[in-house]
Amino acid sequence: MREPNAIDFWRGVALVTIFVNHIPGALYQQVTYSQYSISDAAELFVFLAGWAIALATARRGDPDSPRRVVLRLASRTLEIYRAQILVTAIALAMIAGAAIVLDNPLIIEWHNAGPVFVDPVPTTLGWVLMTHQLGYFNILPLYVAILALSPFFVLLARYSRAAALIMSANLYLAAMIYEINVPSWPVEGHWFFNPLSWQLLLVLGFVASDLSRSSERFWTWAGRLQPVGIAGVALGVVVMVTGWRPDPLMVPEPRLLFLFDKTYLSPARILHFVCLLLAFQGVFGWIARLSPWLAGQASALGRNSLEVFVVASLASLAAQFVRFVTGGGFIVDTLVVWSGLCALSFTAWFVEWRSRSPRPSSLRE
Amino acid sequence: MALALATAIVAAGVAGAKPALAQTAAPLQDGAREAATAAPAVPAPEAPDAGLSPECRVPGAKLYNLAPLRAVKAALRDDRAIRVLLIGASGGGGAFSSVISYPVRLRTELEKQFKGMEVEVIHRALSGEVGTGAADMVRTATAEIGPDLVIWQVGTNDALARVDVDEFAEALGETVAWLKSHEIDVLLVDPQYTSTLGSDPYYARVVQAVGTAAARNGVPLVQRFEAMKYLATSGGGAAVGGFALNNLGKRCIAEHVARAVAVAVGLAGDETPPASR
Repeated sequence: MREPNAIDFWRGVALVTIFVNHIPGALYQQVTYSQYSISDAAELFVFLAGWAIALATARRGDPDSPRRVVLRLASRTLEIYRAQILVTAIALAMIAGAAIVLDNPLIIEWHNAGPVFVDPVPTTLGWVLMTHQLGYFNILPLYVAILALSPFFVLLARYSRAAALIMSANLYLAAMIYEINVPSWPVEGHWFFNPLSWQLLLVLGFVASDLSRSSERFWTWAGRLQPVGIAGVALGVVVMVTGWRPDPLMVPEPRLLFLFDKTYLSPARILHFVCLLLAFQGVFGWIARLSPWLAGQASALGRNSLEVFVVASLASLAAQFVRFVTGGGFIVDTLVVWSGLCALSFTAWFVEWRSRSPRPSSLRE
Repeated sequence: MALALATAIVAAGVAGAKPALAQTAAPLQDGAREAATAAPAVPAPEAPDAGLSPECRVPGAKLYNLAPLRAVKAALRDDRAIRVLLIGASGGGGAFSSVISYPVRLRTELEKQFKGMEVEVIHRALSGEVGTGAADMVRTATAEIGPDLVIWQVGTNDALARVDVDEFAEALGETVAWLKSHEIDVLLVDPQYTSTLGSDPYYARVVQAVGTAAARNGVPLVQRFEAMKYLATSGGGAAVGGFALNNLGKRCIAEHVARAVAVAVGLAGDETPPASR
């Protein structure tokens, strides 16, 4: 088990933020940083995934062989796909169960689930192929897609980090300018998170991680630019509090470049996210000194991010049902949010307990 | 206040009704275009609308509050395809491929109402967005598609999430006003009726908020809640409920929306069309 560290800690913070933000209407959303930030936890999650790839493909500073890189990343991609299928199946069962128990057909409409029940033949194919995604269950498909792309960028970066960044940025810009996205099916539309756009953040995370270990100037410049980061974060707070948005019908073409669009990850979101990174560098050190328990808890979530994410997704759906039945309010929101957080902590503990415990003798040959 | 305003709009619609749509088929000649741009006869508000199929027949007063759709009228007058952006939960019909065909069914119904005119329906489902998140999605999709008409089935996600009704109403009102400021027609569709939510005061407030946003901004409203409630108790003489009612509502929604669009277009009269976007 790794000691608490900044990467696991911030990944844990992203998981908690995603859990709370996936309970729409909950009062606790007001205390998550996403309410005051142009970028949100999704950016943090994907960037840290890229950072972790750099660590996972270069043990003790020695790069893995290309074959091992491809196999490791393909294995992780399959693992995440398996999690997406599992979590979607359970979510659909929860929605169906709630509709029956509450005798309320409206519940089957929950967050894009309706077509699965109304038109099961094409839509079953759709959700298994990830072309049909439930609302709030659309981050793992993005993760699957960009991880599938990642071996190309990881291996290219070994020859030239600049080439990997340029390729990634070109793909990002082409997707944005020509509005190219993965289509959804059978319901007309496209993916909520466009993998052709979001891959840039993964590559940025990978390259930053690589540079952080090989270049002393990386940390020097990160420190020098911290005031710029703080100014960018402050500007983001002002923008969010005032509710200002660029008018999509008034900006010049290509308009997505000038919006705060989440699907295509508009540049404003990336810039703001970089400001967040610059502004909050070093904060983990403070937290680890002031509250080792908090640093340990969040890091435990981050160490087991996939399992915790799956439980968080289902816990947030359950919390939505509880709010729907009870009407929400401060007491209900407090109960569901803190119960959920306990479930996330338990999940992290349980996963690590399992990995430490020997398998039952009955299962051993 | 909202009810009074809505009633006044309906009354204005009835008073301004044009002769029934001609049934002339394409290709469009001048006479046919005139017919296509004319409004269907508006039935008496309390009488079941004979322009609807028997299983979906609802009185106009239970189905819509009307206001003119000027951008659609201008498209008809210019003899160009009507581009419709359909936003909200998909409304299937319970049969294989019905979800896929829902926008197609709406297009078919609209083309029935506007004989000889081409209608393009582009569907964007909301997958859980509420409040300002949904509003942002609507704005982005509008900029992407460039529609003459936005049909927005709104409120279901928000009601399920039990969001603050005032915040929901504010975000909705701002977005409708934004669409109107860009001279894009809007038609709102309020959340559906279910027996378990029929007497839920919170749900009623969400439904009312949609109606108020429509009335305040002078855009037509399809009262899906009232229409389904009517169908639940008197539809075709046989009361239905639960999942059967849900399926019936999905089958009828395309007809209901198309009928409301057709009647609302007639209210635009021969006013000056909006400036080209």
